[in-house]
Amino acid sequence: MIAHIVRKELREIFRTSKMTWMMGGLLVLIALSLYNGYSYYVSHSQMLKESQEVTYKQFISQGNKNPHLGAHFGFYAYKPTAGLAMIDNGIEDYTGNSFYLEPHKRGIIKFKEVTDATSLKSFGFLNIAYLIQFIFPLFIFLICHNIFSKEWENGTIKMLLSSRATKRDIYIGKLIACLCVVFAIIAIIAVTAFMLLLKSDADLGAVIYNYLIYVSGLIVFSAILTSVAVSVSLITRSSTLSLVVLSGCWLAGVFLIPRLAAEISKKVHPSITSIEFEADTFNKMQYGVDGEGTKDYRRELLLRRTLQQYHVDSIQQLPVFFIPITIEYFEESDGKVMDRAYGAIEQNQAQQDALVRSLSLFSPFLAFRDFSMHMTATDMDTHNDFAQKAEEHRRRIGVMVDDFYQKNTEATNAFWKTVPQFRYEPPDTFRRLAASIEAIGVLLCWVVGTIVLMIFSYRRMKI
Amino acid sequence: MMNKNMLRIIAKHEIKLLLRNKVLVYLFTIIFFMLLSALWIGSSMHKKQLSTIDKVHAYNKEITDSLVTRIKRIEANNMVYPGFIWDDPTFAYNTARNEGPQYAIKEPFPLQAISIGQSDLQPFYYKVYINKKQYLTYDGEIANSFLQFIGNFDFAFVVIYLFPLLIIVFTYNVLSAEKEQGTWVLLKTSNQSLARLIAFRIAIRYILFMLFFWLLVTTVLVALLGGAFLSTVNWWWTVTYVSLYFAFWFGLSLFVNSFSLSSTVNAMTLIFIWLFTGIIVPNILQIGLNKVYPIPSRISMVNEERKALNSYFEKDGQELTKEVFNNPRTMIRQASVVTPGMVYGYGVIVYKSQEIKDAAAEVAERKLYGQIARQQDAIRQLQLLSPALTLQEQLAAFAGTHWHQFNQFSIAVDTFRKETQRFYFPKMASEQTYRTFTVEDAARIPRFKQQVYAGFDWLNVYIPVFAYAGITGLMIVFGYRRLLHVIK
Repeated sequence: MIAHIVRKELREIFRTSKMTWMMGGLLVLIALSLYNGYSYYVSHSQMLKESQEVTYKQFISQGNKNPHLGAHFGFYAYKPTAGLAMIDNGIEDYTGNSFYLEPHKRGIIKFKEVTDATSLKSFGFLNIAYLIQFIFPLFIFLICHNIFSKEWENGTIKMLLSSRATKRDIYIGKLIACLCVVFAIIAIIAVTAFMLLLKSDADLGAVIYNYLIYVSGLIVFSAILTSVAVSVSLITRSSTLSLVVLSGCWLAGVFLIPRLAAEISKKVHPSITSIEFEADTFNKMQYGVDGEGTKDYRRELLLRRTLQQYHVDSIQQLPVFFIPITIEYFEESDGKVMDRAYGAIEQNQAQQDALVRSLSLFSPFLAFRDFSMHMTATDMDTHNDFAQKAEEHRRRIGVMVDDFYQKNTEATNAFWKTVPQFRYEPPDTFRRLAASIEAIGVLLCWVVGTIVLMIFSYRRMKI
Repeated sequence: MMNKNMLRIIAKHEIKLLLRNKVLVYLFTIIFFMLLSALWIGSSMHKKQLSTIDKVHAYNKEITDSLVTRIKRIEANNMVYPGFIWDDPTFAYNTARNEGPQYAIKEPFPLQAISIGQSDLQPFYYKVYINKKQYLTYDGEIANSFLQFIGNFDFAFVVIYLFPLLIIVFTYNVLSAEKEQGTWVLLKTSNQSLARLIAFRIAIRYILFMLFFWLLVTTVLVALLGGAFLSTVNWWWTVTYVSLYFAFWFGLSLFVNSFSLSSTVNAMTLIFIWLFTGIIVPNILQIGLNKVYPIPSRISMVNEERKALNSYFEKDGQELTKEVFNNPRTMIRQASVVTPGMVYGYGVIVYKSQEIKDAAAEVAERKLYGQIARQQDAIRQLQLLSPALTLQEQLAAFAGTHWHQFNQFSIAVDTFRKETQRFYFPKMASEQTYRTFTVEDAARIPRFKQQVYAGFDWLNVYIPVFAYAGITGLMIVFGYRRLLHVIK
């Protein structure tokens, strides 16, 4: 009986011209999203790979220079484009991907692409993630909003309930019919995206599990939305009202709640301004923390210690150069100040993010967005992980150069070549899953909530 | 003609009808609450920028006072500085690195409270050094990328996205509801023109909507920002554009209603048009423009700079470095004690290499900004395809937060940086001048003339107004004519 109902519903859904138009439009959007996402991946991954090599080659072939001056020429650590960025490029354009490895300065990630974009960027970036998180839910609602309400409006509900089909059969049949349409669209997306993944130079072995988890999450997400739409259609008993309610939910969940949550988190955990940050770190580096004294005082102490260490009386008698020793010393002490300052910023941002995530309880769209970014490694955690590893690399180079500088005043390409190239591997599947645990938790809460809503609506299926 | 009495009756009837529709009243309340929040959020951001600018001024004063005091102390101490030589402000290079750099500020325009535009992404102040355009801790203000990615909740967002949906809910069933509720037959017995009746009902709803909206927005904005903005031309253009945008949606609704379809189809059609024009068209435009005018990454710009610098060091730079580093006066080879010559040597290398970097960067920057400008021009030509995009572009321009205005600021900062270089470079250039920085010099350090950048001469404000007024007018005329036909 359920199969009969499913067939009947599918026939009815596909018979309407609005459905043909909608599906046609959706297929065009899927094609555009895949194309756009793939182009993004190809151009970005190629550019970053090439730039990583170019900047390193420039560094190791800079010729004879004072080691410290040469180290200031530095090179860049680039965050490689994530293999699944063709599906979801997450916050990549907002974080930047270039980390300058230079002495004295804790690197920061630069060149946010969004700052060089036009105002069109604020309308989003059409790729599969955008389609799934913003547009596809509305399509689900448009497809399912009248699955039950049409029966009331046409007066066919009495006929349906008096047929051999039980209430359960009707409910499950209609739900399955809607899910068939929705899952068919997901299948098209998943298969075509996978084919593009195969075509690209992404390391399939490294991303395949993440991709499968992502698709599983997508199935759960769309099942939640479909079930909500079917339940609302049953509760409201009017196609127009259910359309208005579902569109309202979509608008609130997709735009309103995330943006409001972001504003609330900015108010609750305000960020420090650049000028305050600069003044604070400058003062701490210059005048010391916890009474350790000014820079001049600390330099004097360092000199005394160094003279004692080499059992000499004057700087000229030192068997090593003193400047690199001071550089290395302040690299370390300034590094601590900067670590604390950057740690405070990261903590502040983590608090802001946590508040937004907690408000995703009101929006499965936001929770899925979070899950999607984690699984495609285009999230804030991966970004912070990259920043941390790049900073470790910067310090490693600093120590190498300063050690060399203690005995040499000129470095040649032979020395520059001993400086290691930077390589970055994003966190593995388990770490990504662990990072997205809150989003998964919220989605599971929504699964439970949807089941409750379905039971509630099912009980209202009576004349 | 419908007499005044009848109009009054219809108006009263409409108000009663709207007030008794609980869904509409709740929706209205929620969206107007959102509007208030958006205005408050925008004004908070504006106030935060003003307070940051105050901090910049205070910091600038403190650092300049400290510079003058230190120079005076050194001069009084027979030009002997007791601390680390790299901090000695009588060296022009040291001052250029330490206390010398001045802040360039783009003052926020009060109407920024209604459209955040690019102001959350582009810096509104830079610390201008001789060797880099900006030196903020980050590329701009310290901001959470995740929150930037989510987007802002400002007046522009509420007006562009939420209000059309409210208008749709407000008007989608003006005609169809009468038919579906069975009151249509009753209406047909009236001696009034039903087409006119439907048109008046939509017009009354538009007037009520406008009155309520502007009364609320103006009052709240005056309370939050003061009333000075009311006298600006930017404000009145904002009022014109927003009112026209709402009129477009009311007109569209009348047009869709005139097809005499069911309420559901009306609602679906209007929602689809909203989705298509508000989200899909701008996205497709973005894909197209990125193909036609691809914006090069800043990474390639950096690579160009470094390439130029490397080739310089392969030739002339090698000579200069040898000359500076091997010079017994600079004692850089000694590398144990920082000597005045060493500071001079570094200064020379820095400014020479900066000239090379600037020349390379200028070529790459021209490419980068050229492409962005071409995209912006294309957006200006094609914005009419999407009323949402048109309104966003215009609101940002009236609020002083458009890319163009930030670009003007950026160009001014570049000019200022060159002025700063012209001030410092001669003082760093020779052994006779590198340690001669005086109190008089401190007073002559170039300062940036801060401006608001809220002008919009570069924008053609009339074409979109006429185009949308025309489209709206046509929709009303055709809708009305169709209504006449439908009623027959």
